[in-house]
Amino acid sequence: LRAALRAARRPPALRRGLAKPAGPRSVRQLREAEEAAPVFQYTGKATKRKDRVFVWGFCYSGALGVPSFVRPDAGWKKPRRIQSTPYRLETAEKISSAACGYGFTLLSSTTTDITKVWGMGLNKDSQLAFQRSVRDRTKGYEYVLEPSPIPLPLEKPQQTRVLQVSCGRAHSLILTDSEGVFTMGNNSYGQCGRKVVEDETYSESHLIHQLKEFDSRVVQVVCGQDHSLFRTKKGAVYACGWGADGQTGLGHYNITSVPTKLQGDIAGVNIIQVSSYGDCCLAVSDEGDVFGWGNSEYLQLASVTETTQVNVPRHLPFKVGKIKEAACGGTGNIVLTEEGNVFVWGYGILGKGPNLIETAVPEMIPPSLFGWSDFNPDVRVAHVRCGLSHFAALTNRGELFVWGKNLRGCLGTGRTEDQYFPWRVTVPGEVVDVACGVDHMVSMVKSF
Amino acid sequence: VSVLGIGHGNKLLTDLYHCHLTKVYTVGGLFGKATDDFSDTGKLVEKTTFDHITREKLERIVAVIQGTNHKALLMHSNIDMKTQEAYELAVKGLIRPMGKSPPIITAIRCLQFAPPEFQLEVHCLHETQQYLRKMVHEIGLELKSSAVCTQVRRIRDGVFTLDDALLRTQWNLQSIQKAIWDCQLKVRTELEKTL
Repeated sequence: LRAALRAARRPPALRRGLAKPAGPRSVRQLREAEEAAPVFQYTGKATKRKDRVFVWGFCYSGALGVPSFVRPDAGWKKPRRIQSTPYRLETAEKISSAACGYGFTLLSSTTTDITKVWGMGLNKDSQLAFQRSVRDRTKGYEYVLEPSPIPLPLEKPQQTRVLQVSCGRAHSLILTDSEGVFTMGNNSYGQCGRKVVEDETYSESHLIHQLKEFDSRVVQVVCGQDHSLFRTKKGAVYACGWGADGQTGLGHYNITSVPTKLQGDIAGVNIIQVSSYGDCCLAVSDEGDVFGWGNSEYLQLASVTETTQVNVPRHLPFKVGKIKEAACGGTGNIVLTEEGNVFVWGYGILGKGPNLIETAVPEMIPPSLFGWSDFNPDVRVAHVRCGLSHFAALTNRGELFVWGKNLRGCLGTGRTEDQYFPWRVTVPGEVVDVACGVDHMVSMVKSF
Repeated sequence: VSVLGIGHGNKLLTDLYHCHLTKVYTVGGLFGKATDDFSDTGKLVEKTTFDHITREKLERIVAVIQGTNHKALLMHSNIDMKTQEAYELAVKGLIRPMGKSPPIITAIRCLQFAPPEFQLEVHCLHETQQYLRKMVHEIGLELKSSAVCTQVRRIRDGVFTLDDALLRTQWNLQSIQKAIWDCQLKVRTELEKTL
């Protein structure tokens, strides 16, 4: 009996049974597997939105700041003549202000570092100051292909901040908060605010002029094609440069080489915004009135006068409501009212279809073209900008709409045809500001 | 809402199809999971955090989706953009693709947001259920998280809304007759308007 019990108590031999078949997992196993899966974190609550710069348009002038478009750095890359959709540009700092001139671009940041302004594109008139060539230290570059620092002769380089930049045909203006305005580039019409020197060679010039004598601090600088406008804190406007179309607004058609205050209908009026890009200028007062002077060959000022050149600022009696912002292009003008409506007038592709070519009286662009609908009733246009032959509008949702002549891909729609009514530009981010040039555009965007 | 045609109504169905009217869906979604078929019954691919998502971010993404789809709407409608009538139609918002086209969303907005769940109202053309689920997944990706679709419910199909729909309990001859009679006028006006 004891032997039999011992035999029974022998530890059972290790049996190798068949493995259980795979089969579909039961609901409980699935749930356990799901709960045991690792959780990935891609971003936290405190992630900040990044600031980016996007450029598009004509590449060969170097104004887009991407050297591989002009000089490919890899064997498979081909030179790109036109960048027809927004392309991201890497910048060293957060860019607060950008301006597009005729074939060149200026970017500026409000940093207190030594380098505050970068330029790229054409430099044949030193509109980007002297860019020392690496190969020959005595010569400068005629074309700058990537954003290069512009050395400003500041007295306190680590305290002064650059507020705004502006570019014209062959000159540029840089506004600082405490050291006045710096001007560079072509001065054959006095647009840099200094006396015209006969037979001066502007290419490879080291000269950067500083302007300080205004009635109060300058808060906005605007470049027209060959003239400059300065708006001061007290609401006065100063001008210098070419005046054959009356764009200096000083009562004569000669050139002015020293910034002089404008009178006419804006004497004593507090001006809150000035705009110009070609030969026509507009100014907006704090009460919502708009004043214009300069070229009127394209019916820009035909509502007050039949003459084609107006050399004294005149009030434009438009009954469109209180005006918040105005922008001038080469042949057409655009204003934005307090209610968020957009009005255009002038000549060219104005944005109301191919039938509207010219008008002297402002016509409203229907808000449904900017994304307004019964579904989204609170979409409004927040800013308007003008290039030489195209317009841009920014909505409060951060969308960018463009229309006008698509010169060398400057609209950024990805197509080559002209756009007769506002068209959305697909930018991966919320567009904060945009600068329009002749054949390229630059936009400052916040990532999502 | 599911539209059925009886007898002669089948011809009307094909005509309605050629009108290319929009359908409206309420789509429910859940953040934090990603599955292989974009719905919550599929095989789990990944789990992510979602506490950084706010209603404002969701609405921003939704506005961008609406914007890009609006562009696609204009491009697929095959109208020459340089004509005055294209401008007139664009102002009224009547530009629509009148032929075959990939799925396009004409309008989208956020109805509810209670993390991790959210609900969207989507107006779309030529869509499939998988496209709507994929859209929910892509919204999750854009917000740097992941999302799955929990519910898709059609609340309008062209001219037929929830009010016209009959419940399961109402599937008898009188209600069906009454419903056909009520909808006849709407269908006829819509067909005349478009064709």
